[in-house]
Amino acid sequence: MDVLELEHVSFAYPGGQQALEDISLQIRQGEFLVVCGQSGCGKTTLLKMLKPELTPHGQRQGVIRFAGQPLEALPPRVSAGEIGFVGQNPNTQTLTHKVWHELAFGLESLGCPSDVMRRQVAETASFFGMQTWFRREVKELSGGQKQLLQLASVLVMRPRVLILDEPTAQLGPIAASEFLASVYKLNRELGLTVILTEHRLEEVFPMADRVLMLDHGRKLLLEAPAEAGRRLRSTAPDHPMLAALPSAVRIYQELDTADVCPLTVKEGKEFLSRHFLPYGEPEAPAQSITDERPVILEAKEAWFRYQRDLPDVLRGVSLQVRQGEIFAILGGNGSGKTTLLHLLAGPREPYRGKVLVEGQKTRSFAKGSLYRRRLALLPQDPQTVFLKKTVREDLREITRLMGTPESELEAMAEKLGIHGLLDRHPYDLSGGEQQKAALAKVLLLQPRILLLDEPTKGIDPGAKEQLARILLELQQEGLTTVLVTHDVEFAALSASRCALFFDGEVVSQDAPAAFFAQNHFYTTAASRMARHLYPQAVTCHQVSQLCRSHPKKREEATA
Amino acid sequence: MDTFASYHPAALLGYFMAVLLPAMFSANPALHLLVLLGGLAFWALLVPGRTFAGDLAFYTLLSLMIAVTNPLFSHNGVTPLFFLNGNPVTLEAVWYGVDMAVMLVAVLYWCKCFHRVMSDDKLLFLLAGTASSLSLLISSAIRFVPELKERIARVHQAQKAMGLYSSGSYVDRLLGGLRVFSAVLSWSLECAVETGQAMKGRGYGLKGRSHYALFRLRPRDGWFAAVTLCMAAAVVTVMARGALTHDFYPKMTGLSAAPEALLGYAAYGVLAALPFLLEAAGRCRWHLLLRRCARQDTGGEPGKDGVRWTY
Amino acid sequence: MKKDILAVCFVVLLIAVLLGGTEIQSVEEYYRTHAEEITPQSETVRISIRCDTILDNWDDLTPALQSEEFVPQDGVILPETELVLHEGDTVFDVLERAVRSNRIQMEYQGADENSFGSVYVQGIHYLYEFSCGPLSGWMYRVNGEFPNYGCSKYVLADGDVVEWVYTCDLGKDVGGGWLGGRQ
Repeated sequence: MDVLELEHVSFAYPGGQQALEDISLQIRQGEFLVVCGQSGCGKTTLLKMLKPELTPHGQRQGVIRFAGQPLEALPPRVSAGEIGFVGQNPNTQTLTHKVWHELAFGLESLGCPSDVMRRQVAETASFFGMQTWFRREVKELSGGQKQLLQLASVLVMRPRVLILDEPTAQLGPIAASEFLASVYKLNRELGLTVILTEHRLEEVFPMADRVLMLDHGRKLLLEAPAEAGRRLRSTAPDHPMLAALPSAVRIYQELDTADVCPLTVKEGKEFLSRHFLPYGEPEAPAQSITDERPVILEAKEAWFRYQRDLPDVLRGVSLQVRQGEIFAILGGNGSGKTTLLHLLAGPREPYRGKVLVEGQKTRSFAKGSLYRRRLALLPQDPQTVFLKKTVREDLREITRLMGTPESELEAMAEKLGIHGLLDRHPYDLSGGEQQKAALAKVLLLQPRILLLDEPTKGIDPGAKEQLARILLELQQEGLTTVLVTHDVEFAALSASRCALFFDGEVVSQDAPAAFFAQNHFYTTAASRMARHLYPQAVTCHQVSQLCRSHPKKREEATA
Repeated sequence: MDTFASYHPAALLGYFMAVLLPAMFSANPALHLLVLLGGLAFWALLVPGRTFAGDLAFYTLLSLMIAVTNPLFSHNGVTPLFFLNGNPVTLEAVWYGVDMAVMLVAVLYWCKCFHRVMSDDKLLFLLAGTASSLSLLISSAIRFVPELKERIARVHQAQKAMGLYSSGSYVDRLLGGLRVFSAVLSWSLECAVETGQAMKGRGYGLKGRSHYALFRLRPRDGWFAAVTLCMAAAVVTVMARGALTHDFYPKMTGLSAAPEALLGYAAYGVLAALPFLLEAAGRCRWHLLLRRCARQDTGGEPGKDGVRWTY
Repeated sequence: MKKDILAVCFVVLLIAVLLGGTEIQSVEEYYRTHAEEITPQSETVRISIRCDTILDNWDDLTPALQSEEFVPQDGVILPETELVLHEGDTVFDVLERAVRSNRIQMEYQGADENSFGSVYVQGIHYLYEFSCGPLSGWMYRVNGEFPNYGCSKYVLADGDVVEWVYTCDLGKDVGGGWLGGRQ
């Protein structure tokens, strides 16, 4: 039975901008549908059109039916209760300040009688294991808990369809996995219909029954995931969407085998074993080549805590960053990475030990001079960087401050590919665009050291690759970059040195290949998939290259 | 242990009114003293001893100051002690000051207790019964204010790390602060649009909104309310009959010891001590339970250690 | 925070005491200082204090004052008394001497504490303004007339007769009646 039915649906925003074109689609009861595509491909618009309350203003053509009934004719009570929607940012979706009230909100709106409400709230809270924080304040919860609460407070109304718009964009990898696992559980155990968009396809791809891929508002393909992986290779081998696919699919894409497309690490591992020979690289001698480049940023036994009676966040961190490096500090959420970055950037100081920028204590710089042509920090939330009405005004503020000509601004915009965005309001940009614009603003300060806090948060894989490219270009120009991230793939792609930060200390640091090869869990999916064959390969590209040069003979493969 | 706080919010609110209003509308120092003692005793159970002692010292000093101040400004009373700048400082005024201080401190202590006992959940629950949209508004405001503060701090930190708006003169910093604030405000408005959509998405605005009953009326709430009501009725009746009137000026009338007045004091004493008694009884019962369980544990199966009884 | 509150209270108290000056007298001292013999040469005025109107408005009187102790049965608090008049004495000066030498309680607001710029008598013999209804308070008459200004501004002459009377109706019940200031 079809829960949702779209017939030749098109949509254009009032400005005339075409967001969707001729989408036809039937979604079966109990189906798990993943909608993917680049930023701006219309996937969020599509999702919002399925929930009448959120449908944006604009010109719509075609028919959308919910359980056989056109959406326009759906009574508001039904559309509020039976079509559940969870958006990106748990903070903006939270309506009240207590967990219990958040859960009850939807049922209160529907005018549920007290005992029914009690039962449904109790049941839902139990299902999600919320008993222990049922009476807590929402602001005390972690990001993952907040998003789980959003999910629960939609499910408490017992919807027939659950629509999720990039629900893990603001979460760390662990919380994101947990969240997606909950969604998957709902789909499997309750037969709940799920429609989900996501940037990180690594995990959701294998969960999906079908994948809908959109490209500039059009349906590119709608297939089962394995089939989608195979089809994409044949129809659009250079499509930018490839970057977003799970590592197993990407490696499959780059190789020419007539096999089923693997989806998970496990399947990928089997797939590689089936078709390729191991290549025992001669164990590279421990890289003790002394780096001759001068140390530009250094922490010596730095200890830090926020208040006298709070525990230490940093316990004697020592690290050296050399000129021209891209130094990635990896670590879980709440491990103190951001604090470390703030220490390196100057706004905070260690209570013991020291931080030296170009051999000088951060404190000893005259007011503001630390941030002129020396060091710049791009915070986690790029929105916090903008204060003006257009990107151009924001950038101009810096050129004026630095006394550089306007042409500098144009050049920077050109370099980062944001020329078309200069006259837009910063808040209207997508996550990736915002990130680039913020980077432009920070780079106009002409820093020699750039500090990035979680630069890949909430941006799509295409933008991620672009960012990595930009960083490598800047490295060529002599910029030193320090970034903290929990994005293993991004670090593998961009860093020249990686460090693992845990329990207030830098635990290990090494070149990416060696770093990830030694890690067992904390490494890229490609490395986990291929380590039994190619222990030094870290990125999908490296794996596929090694594969190509070490194929099994045909008879061996078939045997 | 929150024996008292676990009563139904409506019963609690009724209780607080019943205990505070008679004291506030009467000039009888005995009532004031009773209400102070009741509040103090209850507060002593709610906070650790050291905090209590520190508080008490502060309020003692405060009340002393009030007691001393009153006779400096009020010269009524038939018993002058001495003359200050040609104005009499009278015994009556001193006592009146003491009484005022007792009353004020009592109200302050009860406010502290109220704050501790009536969590915002309870207040919003009460409000939701009468004005549900106002209660929702307050609930989201409680969320919004700290969020706004946090956003301002984050933007400020970001700007500081670019060397903007953090150095220079006060005027610069003030202007920078304004700029940050306006940016954060428009950011928050942006978020508010999303919040509004989420509200709509979860059916806000449909007719016939109900509200979740986080608190249920239980039999013990009935008992509690009944006791409160009886005692309050007794006090009010006695007061209305004029048996508890007391004057400081110009001449203090002694405290009445008529049976009716004594009845009033007794009723009010019980009323004021109710939270303390309930809380203390709850704790005693708890200790007894623990002891009984400990006995059973050691006597029953000595082989198994660990906790068999979990609470 | 708490310490600050205490400190502020203390400072306010201190300032109040200092501004008010500090002259402390025992009760005996205070009443002893004023007893002056009338000699044939001295100029004199006569002063009386009455509260007859209360007797007609007994029900309005604050219950605490409903006693013969505070309201004499004939309404006379101070029968007409002759006092020595000093050069430049005002109505208030004379009143103050009269109540002091007769041990009558009196409370007033100093000239610097109110907007009239004159001393305002709040209560005599425990009877205060508003003690007997919202329109009650003390007024004075000199030679049968109600002067329209403050009692510490009215300078008396030899032989004047000052009467302090308690009104329950803004002076209408004592033959005056001037809305505004009662003294």
